[in-house]
Amino acid sequence: MKQIGRFYLIAILVFLYTPIIVMMAMGFNESPLYELPFTFSTRWYEALLANQPLLKAGANSIIIALTTAVIATTLGTMASVALSRRTFRGRSLLQILLLPPIAIPWLITGTAMLIFFYWSGIGRGMHALLIGHVALAIPYVVLVVGTGFKTVRADLEEAAMSLGSTPVHAFFSVTLPLLYPSILGAALFAFAVSLDQFVISYFLATPGYTTLPVQIYSAIRKGFTPEINAISTLLLLGSMAAILIFARFAKPGDTRDKR
Amino acid sequence: MTNVKVKSVAKTYGPIPVLTDISTEFEEGSFTSLLGPSGSGKTTLLRIIAGFIKPDEGIIMIGNNDVTNVPVWGRNIGMMFQSYALFPHMTIAQNVAFGLERRGIKGEAARKEVDRALEMVRLSGFGDRTPKQLSGGQQQRVALARAIVIKPSVLLLDEPLSALDRRLRQEMQVELLRIQRESGLTTIFVTHDQEEALTLSDKVAILDRGRIVQIGEPETVYERPLTRFAAEFLGDSNFLSGKVENGAVRLSNGTVVRSDSALPGNGADVTLAIRPEKMSLATADSQPNRLSARITTVIYAGPVLSYILETPDGLPLKLFAQNRDGRVLREGETVSLSWSPEHTIAVAN
Amino acid sequence: MQNDQLALAQTRGSVDPRVKRPLPAWVSTTALLLPTYGWLTLAVFLPLLTMLAFSFMSATPMGKTPVEFTLKQYRAFIDQPYLLRIGFNSLMMGFWTTLFCAILGFLAAVALVRATVGKTREALLVLILLPFWTNGLVRVFSWTMVLRENGFLDNLLHMVAPDAGSISILYTRYAVVLGLVHGYLPYMILTCYIALVTIDDAIIEAAASLGARWWTILYKILIPMAAPGLISGAVLIFIPVIGSFMEPRILGGRVGVTMGTVIEDQFTQAFNWPLGASLSFTLLAVVLAIFATFSGILRRGTAG
Ligand SMILES: Nc1ncnc2c1ncn2[C@@H]1O[C@H](COP(=O)(O)OP(=O)(O)OP(=O)(O)O)[C@@H](O)[C@H]1O
Ligand SMILES: [Mg+2]
Repeated sequence: MKQIGRFYLIAILVFLYTPIIVMMAMGFNESPLYELPFTFSTRWYEALLANQPLLKAGANSIIIALTTAVIATTLGTMASVALSRRTFRGRSLLQILLLPPIAIPWLITGTAMLIFFYWSGIGRGMHALLIGHVALAIPYVVLVVGTGFKTVRADLEEAAMSLGSTPVHAFFSVTLPLLYPSILGAALFAFAVSLDQFVISYFLATPGYTTLPVQIYSAIRKGFTPEINAISTLLLLGSMAAILIFARFAKPGDTRDKR
Repeated sequence: MTNVKVKSVAKTYGPIPVLTDISTEFEEGSFTSLLGPSGSGKTTLLRIIAGFIKPDEGIIMIGNNDVTNVPVWGRNIGMMFQSYALFPHMTIAQNVAFGLERRGIKGEAARKEVDRALEMVRLSGFGDRTPKQLSGGQQQRVALARAIVIKPSVLLLDEPLSALDRRLRQEMQVELLRIQRESGLTTIFVTHDQEEALTLSDKVAILDRGRIVQIGEPETVYERPLTRFAAEFLGDSNFLSGKVENGAVRLSNGTVVRSDSALPGNGADVTLAIRPEKMSLATADSQPNRLSARITTVIYAGPVLSYILETPDGLPLKLFAQNRDGRVLREGETVSLSWSPEHTIAVAN
Repeated sequence: MQNDQLALAQTRGSVDPRVKRPLPAWVSTTALLLPTYGWLTLAVFLPLLTMLAFSFMSATPMGKTPVEFTLKQYRAFIDQPYLLRIGFNSLMMGFWTTLFCAILGFLAAVALVRATVGKTREALLVLILLPFWTNGLVRVFSWTMVLRENGFLDNLLHMVAPDAGSISILYTRYAVVLGLVHGYLPYMILTCYIALVTIDDAIIEAAASLGARWWTILYKILIPMAAPGLISGAVLIFIPVIGSFMEPRILGGRVGVTMGTVIEDQFTQAFNWPLGASLSFTLLAVVLAIFATFSGILRRGTAG
């Protein structure tokens, strides 16, 4: 019985990883038409270096993701302080309001942003993308940091205040150092969410300002070359690395008070 | 060293009054226990004194200062929490130095004070460890050192010992008392362990549903409870009710009981409280107060024998007897109980 | 020692008169919350409201066309019957994807809980969840490498049976469902795993020792235990799937017309924003109905 179970799990992993590995391998295949037999070549990665639009989209993606991570983590952490540590009327309503950005299909959120940004004169482009990405990342930050707050006892802050700390000092000297793994995890998470975001970017990008996923999508639709495999591989590895580091930091325990 | 005064403090959460008109003074250098059942408002009162909660009404004075509107961090209090609340990311020495640093004491001066405080709680040499490397009792002592090193005006403790096992708890009680005496800090201690309250305190305050029903020295509160609640909550008690008749009390079964307490006028209803250990099995030279009762249960606890009895008209009674001659009465036996008027306390209901 | 006691006995200047009165709590609470909720209002709530307003317009308010308020956009399903068929296809796509995910994911969760322990289990979980957090677009794209004519699958088949004709299921509905299952399966594995991981081995061993056969254990213990996970997984998969548009486009080609692609078209090709908006809100209504139906279970499923 256990044998069958393990075999099945391996089959699932094969299913999950086969296309990804085939896709990655094809990025190293000489033929532009993905023809076999396989001949190893790095020409597509070299071609990438010369593909200005793709490189620029890649740089845009990284800049947007970094900015999103910084803004969303700052705002989300602030909100999380209030939602986790204060009691006030309407708190549960505010918590519920974090759900729409996560739960509503991105197609709807994205097209709604397109309409509103057009109608209100905000327009499209980098700033619009940033507004959208931060909004999508904030709920995740609040959730991740909120989970972190649960492991930092509230009475630590009270102890600090009884010793003479103002609430602000107590937060920075006691809570923040203990919360730091969660905040870093949340930032990585926000980075990954933004880096991988396609749907929202697709509606808010302009021909002059796109992100990598948008660029990849239009390349796929126009007829693709293994260059797309090469850049996809890099993107995939980038976000996998971010998530693995996130998992490392967001692991409960270690420096935190378990009691 | 300062006294703490609480004047007409009231607090409600929504429609529920949690504290009602609390007025009392905690004297300079005294050790006062707040004792009461769960939900009686002990923590709320302590946190109002600390400044974590703002009272709806009333004022708090520390020394000569009205601190009602001063936030926690300006009140110069020392506080100990049930969970110890040590900062896990700091060493023991850093934990103890935290409050000093907030008061601008740094470097060598701070180090000296920290060493002295750790010595006082018998943890010299533990300064470089982290809280996790200490046992529960040791963490508790660090928390105490951290609270007293800042020389607070008042030391506030909310059930600090309840997380410890029995042995450690008794050890810590002794330590706490020694340190309190040495430092002479005005101390307010929340507990719902009556034995702890009696052994540690100069004063015991009994809280019932948001009111202080009695405050006084442990002996006074135990020997002269003012209310039925106080008599019942602190120790055990038998209650007899009846009507006043010519300076004595006639019970419903006709027995007349004498009391040294001041009694109301003729015909008034009164409740009398008698501690179970103050009753004894009647012999020839016994006290004037007597009742006969049948033993329903015998609880043999080594040095003490507890009997649960019932009078012919169905009143339950308790009797604690020293196990002096090894004679144990049987269930079903009918005995005669007697006690002195001095131990017959009239209490309010 | 005597001196020390005295030193400690002196209070260190009791109350600091310079301490400022703290701000009322509501001020700082508001200050902490305002940036986040202001941002969400600007980026999500106002856009949704504007879209709602647009869905009642007769035409996109661009250029000189006069715009009136009308309910006609919501009549689209009646006026254009082909939308009904597309809507039905989208629902079927959601149904099949969810069903396959449920079966495969439930079994994987059972296998994880029953056949693995400790570090191995942790490693397997990470491996299963890792692709989930990577770019969906890239993963969909990678299926084209496998499914296309002369792709990986085709070549594999020819290795086994050299004479077989070439197969290509790319640009079929099967390909779309396959890609979607690939994309959302980790979700179901995770929700089922969370529901099942609390099962006590002793229950199953006790059942087995009482002579229960494996299917009895499956129906009487495992499936009821996994039910909250199955349901929350199903909701969390079904909702994005019926709104998906890039998977049908890339893997379905011409047959990949769904509600998602129709809505996208209204915004990128047809410039009929009011129709796109009304279709979006119809979709949103379906989503909300699903959420409302299962919200209790979802809350339990995701909290655990
Ligand atoms: N923030 C609050 N909101 C509403 N009610 C509260 C709040 N804090 C305390 N209460 C109520 O006030 C009453 C007194 O609470 P408090 O914590 O002071 O009791 P306590 O005597 O310390 O009890 P325990 O021995 O269980 O610690 C309780 O009925 C409690 O439910
Ligand atoms: Mg309490």
